[in-house]
Amino acid sequence: MQKLGKYVKTDRMSELVSDNYRVLLVMSRFGIGLGFGDKTIDAVCRDNGVDTFTFLVVVNMLLTDETPQPVSDRVHVASLVQYLHNSHDYFLDFRLPEIRRKLVEVVGVQDELSRAIVAYFDGYIEGVQAHMAYEEEIVFPYVRSLLEGRRQEGYRIEVFRQHHDQVETLLTEFKQILIKFYPSDSTHAINGVLFDIFNCEYDLASHNAVEDRLFIPTVRLLEQNLEER
Amino acid sequence: MGAPLKITVAEPSVILRSGMLAVLEHTEKFKAEVYEVSDMEHLKAALNWQHPDVLMVNPASLGLYALQQLRKEAGNPEMKCVAVQLTVSDQTTLRSYDEVISIYDDAETIVGKLFKLTAEGEQRDRRHEALSGREKEVIACVVQGMTNKQIADRLCISTHTVITHRRNIAAKLDIHSPAGLTIYAIVNKLVELDAIRETVGEPGES
Repeated sequence: MQKLGKYVKTDRMSELVSDNYRVLLVMSRFGIGLGFGDKTIDAVCRDNGVDTFTFLVVVNMLLTDETPQPVSDRVHVASLVQYLHNSHDYFLDFRLPEIRRKLVEVVGVQDELSRAIVAYFDGYIEGVQAHMAYEEEIVFPYVRSLLEGRRQEGYRIEVFRQHHDQVETLLTEFKQILIKFYPSDSTHAINGVLFDIFNCEYDLASHNAVEDRLFIPTVRLLEQNLEER
Repeated sequence: MGAPLKITVAEPSVILRSGMLAVLEHTEKFKAEVYEVSDMEHLKAALNWQHPDVLMVNPASLGLYALQQLRKEAGNPEMKCVAVQLTVSDQTTLRSYDEVISIYDDAETIVGKLFKLTAEGEQRDRRHEALSGREKEVIACVVQGMTNKQIADRLCISTHTVITHRRNIAAKLDIHSPAGLTIYAIVNKLVELDAIRETVGEPGES
């Protein structure tokens, strides 16, 4: 059963995770491992040096699809940047290569069709890499310098907001193509890949939601505070 | 959702007109910008400045006006015309309309019929259409990595036409990337395999 409503810092971490297995992804991106016994969310976060408020905002956002309005200046921006950075590593170094490996295993490389399918996915990975590289090389350094109280001339988080494309839409197209056109006798193996793609699509969409609805407004707040000083 | 659908409701009866307006305002399927015309004498002038996507009108109150004529005089040949039937009308009259609704249709039916006339609705309809021979040729060129200009030269058509074909292909197949079209083309045998070997790599390569 999924627990409805918001989680608070005095709830047990183990309950949060067993009610909502997707929270596992959030935890590992904040650098929190398993084995926390019956400790509260607050205790586990403090043990791991994670800002509890920021952790809860992200968790509640993923679970209820709600963003705090207006976004609070209590969100710990450095933790959020670390979270997004870890999330990038997860997709690029683990999740997408894993799906590619399974895909190659299922469709093979023996004919033009299988190679075209793998080529499509490779093209997709390149797109995600470019998307995330921009954030790593331009956006995050910009935000880190804001945190140190330095303004970079000629860049605003607004620039990022306008160019932030949705990386999951191409994956949606790929899924459609496999569903509609992939000829196969047995579907067990290809289903496994499809489930992975469905899940990955969902995770990328929520990663983007955190960027669009939490990260960008928080950074904008940071810019404003710096301007007023 | 795109721009609001501009609809002109031409109906002398205030009761019927308000009823139609209420149906259009309460739908969430599309956003409508509705104009009212109560006096048929002014219809042509009203259409001229309103330039609606859709005209809803009772065929009987249009009198002898032919729709084609009306579209032309309103300077809006693309305008869709929906007949609002109060009583049974002559089939030959109705044939020139894009859609017919009855005042006894429920709100859902009316909104559904109007939605089909919108660009979004048309695109959704088109998904079930088969590709034309020309479109298949364009796909074959795209998957060989040709540019729009090269495709235009090969097929002896303008670049503009190539772009139109590509847009229609994307709408029909719901595939927007060249890599996706390559997969489609191989499955449906639209290309000689030798022709695409370059774009998807040699056998043995991973």
